[in-house]
Amino acid sequence: MSEFIQSLLAPFQYDYMLRAIWVSALIGGTCGFLSSFITLKGWSLMGDALSHAVVPGVAVGYIVGVPFAHELVREYHRSAVTNLILGLPLVLGAFVAGLLAAGTMAFIKAKSRIREDATIGIVFTAYFALGLLLISLFPASVDLKVILLGNILGISDPDIWQVVVISAVTLLVVGLKWKDLMLFCFDPNQARTLGLPAGGLHVTLLALLAATAVAALQAVGACLVVAMLVTPGATAYLLTDRFGKMLWLSSGMGVATSLAGAYGSYYFNGATGGCIVTLQTLVFLAAFVLAPQHGILASKRRARLTRTVSTG
Amino acid sequence: MTASPTLRDELPRLAIEGVSVAYPNGHLALDNASFQLSGGTICALVGVNGSGKSTLFKSIMGFVKPKAGSVRINGLSVRAVLKQHLVAYVPQAEEVDWQFPVSVWDVAMMGRYGAMNFLRIPRVADKLKVEESLRRVSMWDFKDRQIGELSGGQKKRVFLARALAQGGRVILLDEPFTGVDVKTEEAIIALLRELRAAGCIILVSTHNLGSVPEFCDQVVLINRTVLAYGPTASVFTERNLTAAFGGVLRQFQFDQSTIQDHDGRTIRVLSDDERPLVFGKDGHLEYKDRGEHEELLKQRSEQHE
Amino acid sequence: MSEFLEPLQYPFMRDALLVGTLVAAMCAVLSCFLILKGWSLMGDAISHAVLPGIVLAYIAGLPLAIGAFASGLFCAVGTGFIKQNSRIKEDTVMGVVFTGLFAFGLVLFSRTPSDLHLDHILLGNILGIARSQVWQTLGLGGVVLGVTLALRRDLLLICFDPGQARVMALPDRFLNYLLLALLSLAIVVSLQAVGIILVVAMLVTPGSVAHLWTDRFDRMLAIAVATAAGSTVAGIFISYHIDGSPGACIVLVQALVFAGSLLFAPKYGLLGRRAKPLEGQRPGNMPAQPNGLGWSNRDDLEG
Repeated sequence: MSEFIQSLLAPFQYDYMLRAIWVSALIGGTCGFLSSFITLKGWSLMGDALSHAVVPGVAVGYIVGVPFAHELVREYHRSAVTNLILGLPLVLGAFVAGLLAAGTMAFIKAKSRIREDATIGIVFTAYFALGLLLISLFPASVDLKVILLGNILGISDPDIWQVVVISAVTLLVVGLKWKDLMLFCFDPNQARTLGLPAGGLHVTLLALLAATAVAALQAVGACLVVAMLVTPGATAYLLTDRFGKMLWLSSGMGVATSLAGAYGSYYFNGATGGCIVTLQTLVFLAAFVLAPQHGILASKRRARLTRTVSTG
Repeated sequence: MTASPTLRDELPRLAIEGVSVAYPNGHLALDNASFQLSGGTICALVGVNGSGKSTLFKSIMGFVKPKAGSVRINGLSVRAVLKQHLVAYVPQAEEVDWQFPVSVWDVAMMGRYGAMNFLRIPRVADKLKVEESLRRVSMWDFKDRQIGELSGGQKKRVFLARALAQGGRVILLDEPFTGVDVKTEEAIIALLRELRAAGCIILVSTHNLGSVPEFCDQVVLINRTVLAYGPTASVFTERNLTAAFGGVLRQFQFDQSTIQDHDGRTIRVLSDDERPLVFGKDGHLEYKDRGEHEELLKQRSEQHE
Repeated sequence: MSEFLEPLQYPFMRDALLVGTLVAAMCAVLSCFLILKGWSLMGDAISHAVLPGIVLAYIAGLPLAIGAFASGLFCAVGTGFIKQNSRIKEDTVMGVVFTGLFAFGLVLFSRTPSDLHLDHILLGNILGIARSQVWQTLGLGGVVLGVTLALRRDLLLICFDPGQARVMALPDRFLNYLLLALLSLAIVVSLQAVGIILVVAMLVTPGSVAHLWTDRFDRMLAIAVATAAGSTVAGIFISYHIDGSPGACIVLVQALVFAGSLLFAPKYGLLGRRAKPLEGQRPGNMPAQPNGLGWSNRDDLEG
């Protein structure tokens, strides 16, 4: 028995596991919080697109920015400030690439007959290919696997700082302005008529999306970021009809699944991202079947009820 | 070919019996709807948005399976009838992707697919039929145009040509007059009359109430279920319409009208979406409260003086 | 010039060009249907979803292509089922399902000791295709291409107006699944060449390019195939000379072709559009057509 408990507690003996668990939980919570807006706005594929589109920015950050930042802080001791500076090039690169990609999509959508979904597909693959090309040209400075699949177990101090800052800013902005953002997602024209800066809200949401995509890149990699940004929101949407409640449910689910997934990944040879997202999908499926109002069992029951009513 | 020669030559009979359709979430879209039509008719399907008009269309086209009841054409199930390509439909303009890279000719040819071989390579007979159909709606000269390059009325005619090319005996038209100018509307109506004379059942879903008595000989009033059906004169009454539309319908009563000068009856105008402009005798504008209005006008002119 | 053609000396480069061109043509043909049906991102979803199938097939000792095909199709069907039975929008469902499957594939992969290379699955390995693989790719690719082209009229109809397919009792459900199956198969065939992540580009960009150039479907197919095959050949040559990832080079050349078309395509390009006369200003095309029904082509200009 005690052996069993010991093996359960094993992950907590390692410093890197503890770090991975709390950092994933932070990322999961932030992404979950944002995911309510993303799913309601219908930007699910935007999340997918941006998470791939930031890759060239990250690559440039690694190739040009990181060595430069190291040069800058070589004289100083490692501290919060130096860590922030070291993390900056990646965030900045990713951020610029993400917003450029969003701008490109908006431009093509406005100016051509190509449908929005096709536009998204064209633009994000082009950006991603650019990143890939850069990485293949400078194989020494970037580890492609880290970008694709994340590496939360080996996350460095500058990266942790970067995640913390991004999460703090995102939670702060969304926490303060969630009502404006909700109105913008629900009815952008109404937002405009009220004199809210709809364009500003649009860009804010995009910027937050790009920033969290960078943070989530650390945890689960480019391929799975979209899950962190979509699945919690979709699950919460099945469980409630109130936006406030949905926010709590989705961020709670983000935190819980990330905690459990990172913990569980100790037993799975480090596929942390895979564990977290698999868990999220299982929770979603459970909600899809069992949700009290909007689950399939509930609607089957309702269908049976109407049948007996209409025939009897 | 599976088509039995009799069915295409027979007058079609459409029988909807006790049809109920449920949404996936369990709510009923249509409850116990029943009516019958037989060939040589233009019938309007009238009801508010969400009354089940499109659900009824979909069950006649076999897109949704009724939970209860049946849709039969000449005693056959929808499936069997569709196999003989006897049901044709003209979609709403909003449902079509007008950027699609197909020409007028291509669209009309799609009506022939059911009769073609596996690879859908058109035979001479198919081409002749398509040409005839396009000529009938005067779109032959546009046959190489991409469909997005047409006006609203022309677009509608292309889809009518497709239904003609298909040779359907039961023809469903969904809101055929939206985005169509008056002249085309008249021409479409003339074509529908020709088809009626040829024995087709033409079911037109519309909320353009005003034009219904003009060209429809029968009406089905629908609101979740069939409220009334039959000849236009007996069904299209104020009472039935009020029941079908509830509060959605606008009512205008002209108690003192220039039209009524000679017989003294009041006039009532029912309209479902827009405020009608009514001219009385000698082009006088009709107002809801004519007396009050004229009073106001008189005061104004006095003030001027 | 001979220096530029130098790669042709190597058998692996010749194989890469052959396979790349066929894969490009196959994906290009499918892309025309996908972008018109609004399924552009279906390719993205299915391509990610094949991962667990590959790993499971590896564990079971089956051909990887079968596993990949099965799990790709499972993703498509599962997405459809959840969308039908819940109130969640289709794109969200797609995001949830394909990432779930991909994540599951990763977890399986991490538990399975194997000689599979994850980066080859993700990014393709066109320069390292084995001879047997070449034949398999050419065979399967040929089948997909052939079936798609043979049934192009039916497939076009279910993209354009599924309702019309229904009322004529065409097997529309079957055709939908056929298109999904062809898509899954195409993705399986393309994995070797461009990998999971970039196959989306092959399945979206060529059709979009062609859609900017023409209003006729058959011409659209031809343009899509030509630009895709051309970009692939150019991309492989470029990648050889700059020593960069071939998959990335192919996709980037395609993206440049798209950007060029966006600017210069005669009718729908940004610069080409200026020269186009306004709709309705072509009196030559509008003959007056008096006939029994009184259709008039002159007076019913968009009102």
